[in-house]
Amino acid sequence: MHRTLISAFIAGTCLLSAPAWAQSLKIALSSEPTAIDPHYHDLTPNNALIAHIFDGLTKQDENQKVLPNLATSWENDGKTRWTFKLRQGVTFSNGQPFTADDVIFSFCRTLKNETAIAGSFADITGNFTAVEAPDSHTIVITTKAPDPLLPNFLSGLAILSSSIVPHDKLAFDAAKNCGVTGTWPVVGDFNDGKLAIGTGPYKFKSYTKGTSVELERNDKYWGPAEPWANVTFVPVPNAGPRLAGLLAGDYDVIENPAARDVSRIRDDKRFGYVIMPSTRVIYFQLDVEREPSPFVKAENGKNPLKDPRVRKAMSLAIDRDAIIKRIMDSAAEPAYQFLPNGMFGALANPPKLAYDPAAAKKLLAEAGYPNGFQLTLSTTNDRYINDSQITQAVAQYLTQVGIRSEVDAMARAIYFPRRSKKEFSVALGGWGSTSGEASSFLRQWPATPDEAKTIGGSNYGGYNDPEFDKLIRTAIVTLDDAKRAEILQQAGTKVLEGGAFIPLHFESTIWAYKANLKYAGRADQFTMAMQVKSAK
Amino acid sequence: MNPSRTATSAVAADADTALRQKVLRRIRSRPTTRGAVILLGILLLLALLAPFIAPQNPHDLASLSVMDNRLEPGSQGMTGITYWLGTDAQGRDMLSAILYGLRTSLLVGLTSTAGALAVGILAGLTAAQFGGAVDAVIMRIVDFMLGFPSILIALVLLASIGRGVDKVIVAIILVQWAQYARLMRAAALVERRKEYIEAAVNFGLPTRHIMLAHLLPNSIGSVLVVSTISIAGAITLEATLSFLGVGVPVTQPSLGLLIANGFEFLLSGEYWIAAFPGIALVLLIMSLNLVGERLRRSFNVRG
Repeated sequence: MHRTLISAFIAGTCLLSAPAWAQSLKIALSSEPTAIDPHYHDLTPNNALIAHIFDGLTKQDENQKVLPNLATSWENDGKTRWTFKLRQGVTFSNGQPFTADDVIFSFCRTLKNETAIAGSFADITGNFTAVEAPDSHTIVITTKAPDPLLPNFLSGLAILSSSIVPHDKLAFDAAKNCGVTGTWPVVGDFNDGKLAIGTGPYKFKSYTKGTSVELERNDKYWGPAEPWANVTFVPVPNAGPRLAGLLAGDYDVIENPAARDVSRIRDDKRFGYVIMPSTRVIYFQLDVEREPSPFVKAENGKNPLKDPRVRKAMSLAIDRDAIIKRIMDSAAEPAYQFLPNGMFGALANPPKLAYDPAAAKKLLAEAGYPNGFQLTLSTTNDRYINDSQITQAVAQYLTQVGIRSEVDAMARAIYFPRRSKKEFSVALGGWGSTSGEASSFLRQWPATPDEAKTIGGSNYGGYNDPEFDKLIRTAIVTLDDAKRAEILQQAGTKVLEGGAFIPLHFESTIWAYKANLKYAGRADQFTMAMQVKSAK
Repeated sequence: MNPSRTATSAVAADADTALRQKVLRRIRSRPTTRGAVILLGILLLLALLAPFIAPQNPHDLASLSVMDNRLEPGSQGMTGITYWLGTDAQGRDMLSAILYGLRTSLLVGLTSTAGALAVGILAGLTAAQFGGAVDAVIMRIVDFMLGFPSILIALVLLASIGRGVDKVIVAIILVQWAQYARLMRAAALVERRKEYIEAAVNFGLPTRHIMLAHLLPNSIGSVLVVSTISIAGAITLEATLSFLGVGVPVTQPSLGLLIANGFEFLLSGEYWIAAFPGIALVLLIMSLNLVGERLRRSFNVRG
């Protein structure tokens, strides 16, 4: 009697729990999103997370090809006018219907977003002169200058519900507050879930910084329903515990197990993995503007980084192949430019950035620094794959040619705000091309900022090359693909010659998962529950 | 100089010698304590001589090579040196790194304890001597400090002032002075009620003189004994802070940072990066604790 009861109880629990288990997904992230606010910071972990809750007008597939999303089709008049047809019958998770007003509101919010980091997304909307809605499901965007990549850019710009703030008739006019009568939402309003209302396949459930982000299936989603009722993202910045969690069965999918551990997963039938080259370039950005620069100490009291010969010497001092082999365990490709060969606007055959410490020493002596100088390299320790180890290795190489280097490694929550306040002299950076084009890096980092801040938003080193500026400004308004690619190649060559950015390598992304699942891998490094399928 | 002082000093001196002999006897008679003292001596010596006996200067980046990274214990490097305890992810010789790490740990432990002692003793003495409002203010600050977990205060402080050995020392002083202040006050209050102090007061000696020449030397004993255990606490705190990534700079690793660095390689089977510094830290803390605990018991101090 007793025993039957117990077995019945156990059987019952199993019956109850089995489907629930199958429907929930736990994913361990290597880098935690910094906010739920989709317009807070244009950062890969953030963009990947918000794509679950919010939709853009367009979206990109795993190879960064642009596909329809909230817009079903679009066309360009050959100049500056774009017409987007919006999807019918879409509702937000709070039940409000999706219309052109929501698009106008969302565009406006990026311009009125006081808590945004580095003008995120305003670099897209700042280029709009007018946004009109001829009817409730059509949006006409007029840009200041032709913008060939507008549909690419709009894939990352999340559409909010205009119902989250009180407003009159909405119009794209930032000077008149766009018709909004209440206060503009700030980052905290999204992080507590109050305003995290989107049209995406999942909806917000809870967010505890440093602990987890929980999502649940959005039953009002316009597309096919997701197989997972609950998705939990857990940030586990350390690769060891991340893999241990997968091996122990705590996580279903993990991002970036250490490359040295891939062999362990390969030899284990219980798990699968995928390695995908990405467009993310890892580089150092040098302060080439200020005199003196905060973290450089030279005998003559000047900022040696202003001298192109010193910059060239620094690049020559670094053994990229050794870093890739010994630190990255070969899961990276050496970078001799800012976008991998074969991508749009990348150089077909960039000259190899060789390792030549003798030449580096010679150049330093020529530049007037035969005894080198002192430098602090600033780096994150929880953002890019092996970021702090890479920086320490570079510090070794620089020290070996006489540039005595120290490393200041910090969490990205401290690092990014400090970098945008230009507190560093040499800063580690990582940039994945969101559009899949060379212009993505070139317009954001080396370009001299324009007034509207649509380009040069991350030019923290004060790089200024008028010839390059002319090229990049022309490139981004050239609609003709062949011509644009050519100008981008010229612009890329200029930046490489300038040496204010020292490229190191392109990351490869690894995902590992339980054998009953399948993850396709993405060139943009996004980890998305939508891409996790059951393996049959 | 004055009769009361010489009298008490003579008596105290006799008692001191007797006690000292008793303590030494106790230490010698216990094999564990004797072992701990010897071990501590060896570790101190190693730390002191690190620059002369370490095969490599792990703080000098030019002497490291990434090409030699994560080598197993006993491997030969490209430059021909043998890494007896292996190398870490930056190609640092673990043996050298541990010797230098010991140095950093002991430096932080000893200086921060000395600093915390100085601040704490001064605060406790002042509180005991003046009483009233001064006492209340100082002791409420002490209560406030002791109310927070020390790791929390140190973390917040370091997150705002940045990394560095000097900054870690400041943070630990700030965290630890309060316990000494409380102990010192208690001891000084007991002492203050004794007749020789009353006599000194009646003689009209200046307050400062009474505090420093009579109260301080006669009540400091228990605080000093407790501080020997707290050195271990300070070292643990430094290791924890460095492990969490807010302690010493990454290019000058302490034992805690070395363990943190090796932590992620443990699962890959590269145990030596975390294990050896871990063993060194355990030995250091254990010997300090054993010696400190024995001293505390012998002097019968409650800390």
